[in-house]
Amino acid sequence: MGSSLRRCRTPLGFGLLAAAGILVIGLPIVGLVARTPWGRFVPILADGTAREALRLSLVVATSAGVLSLVAGFPLAWVLARASWPGASLVRALVVLPLVMPPVVAGVGLLAAFGRRGVVGSWLYEAFGVQLTFTTGAAVLAAWFVSFPLAVLALEAGLRGIDERLEGAAAAMGASRGYVLRRVTVPLLRSQIAAAFVLAWARALGEFGATITFAGNLQGRTQTLPLAVFERLQTDQDAAVALSLVLIGLALGVILALRGRFLR
Amino acid sequence: MRRTLSLAVAGAVLLGACGGSTGEDAGRDRELVVSAAASLADAFPEIGRAFEAANPGVAVAFNFGPSDGLAGQIVEGAPVDVFVSASPAWMDAVAEGPGVIGRADVARNRLTVIVPAENPGQIERIEDLARDGVKLVLAAEGVPAGDYAREILAKAGIAEAALANLVSNEDDVRGVVAKVLAGDADAGIVYATDATPDAAAGIRAIPIPDDLNVVATYTAAVVGGSEQVDLAKRFVDFVLDEGRETLADHGFLPA
Repeated sequence: MGSSLRRCRTPLGFGLLAAAGILVIGLPIVGLVARTPWGRFVPILADGTAREALRLSLVVATSAGVLSLVAGFPLAWVLARASWPGASLVRALVVLPLVMPPVVAGVGLLAAFGRRGVVGSWLYEAFGVQLTFTTGAAVLAAWFVSFPLAVLALEAGLRGIDERLEGAAAAMGASRGYVLRRVTVPLLRSQIAAAFVLAWARALGEFGATITFAGNLQGRTQTLPLAVFERLQTDQDAAVALSLVLIGLALGVILALRGRFLR
Repeated sequence: MRRTLSLAVAGAVLLGACGGSTGEDAGRDRELVVSAAASLADAFPEIGRAFEAANPGVAVAFNFGPSDGLAGQIVEGAPVDVFVSASPAWMDAVAEGPGVIGRADVARNRLTVIVPAENPGQIERIEDLARDGVKLVLAAEGVPAGDYAREILAKAGIAEAALANLVSNEDDVRGVVAKVLAGDADAGIVYATDATPDAAAGIRAIPIPDDLNVVATYTAAVVGGSEQVDLAKRFVDFVLDEGRETLADHGFLPA
């Protein structure tokens, strides 16, 4: 269908504006690739601090992705299936981190979990636990900013499921847990994967909340974006090379999602 | 392609510095872009306003940050007229790149240990920074305040133990103040001028003995390639003359 439709001619202005948009996104990538010190690329990545940052980034992003799924699935289920008074308010709250400046997220996390924070002061006084400046704080910051993507993807997936399939399984005597494990989750497989990958990618790029809340220490809280930022002042070649690694990982995510989430 | 990045950096500098100045006035007003060490972020705006008052039609736009980062931007081609570095080393870097004109020392500073008002780490002297479990925040290596701090710790003979307590390398010295002010860091090392009650209420300064302290020298110069060398020179002279009192008010030592 649609093959007989006459193709619209693109107005010239549209073409120019679209091209400008493509350039805005494309040129920084072209610039990075052009500036990449290919001869030093391997030594830069083999350097201890870069490897440490990459390792930490993978640990932090994967932890944040898993936490986003584990806490995101029940929340998405409640939002998609149950009707309750505060649902739309909660949905707005969940989306907030997506549009909130990350540095503000960091300030908020400090206000909640810092040593003088609402929860943090209690943690510190009762247990002597201080979250700030730990890898846990970096994970929390990454979780905070990536959670909405996971919840939205899962909620969309849950709404797309034909509930009669679950109903049929239940009618045949399957317990709720069984239905969830054997029907709902398998049906949602690709949405769960998409939710994880989206959250993981957002967590991988997290900068502002991390540096504000978790600080910047090699091996503990210095993830790749923080390493890029620090190198920018001392070794721009290294900053460019590490940036390219992050872009490569992001590109991998897009390819992995092709045909699932993006058409 | 070097140009692409340079332009991006330059654009970022201008955006950060102008904070939305209107395009219409741009033809009439002359804008002087001054990149200055973060520790000058309280004193220099005052000097800038006085300079503007003395030179009608001139607007001074400041770009505060770590001296190493600012030097990097200038070397990359950021359109900066005047650079004020917290260490001679980063002025040397700019002197090698676009070059500098009329270099002059404008002020000096000492460093101090700071702790949150409630002093959770029970820090009373600099040697306490070596105590196990203290959460110490410094400016990153390469940032003058970070290098000076490490020099002081080495002089005190506690570099290894104190650096084992390091929990964060901040982008500039004001980042160190922020972490201590928030109460999450037990201690930091910053310039004495960052620890005045005016600069930051809610922190306590613990002086570093003179024999362990270092003197930071601030150097100003016109950046080679500036399109308004005369105006930029006048600004540097203004800092040296009229600015001296303002700098003293903020706790800086004379150069």
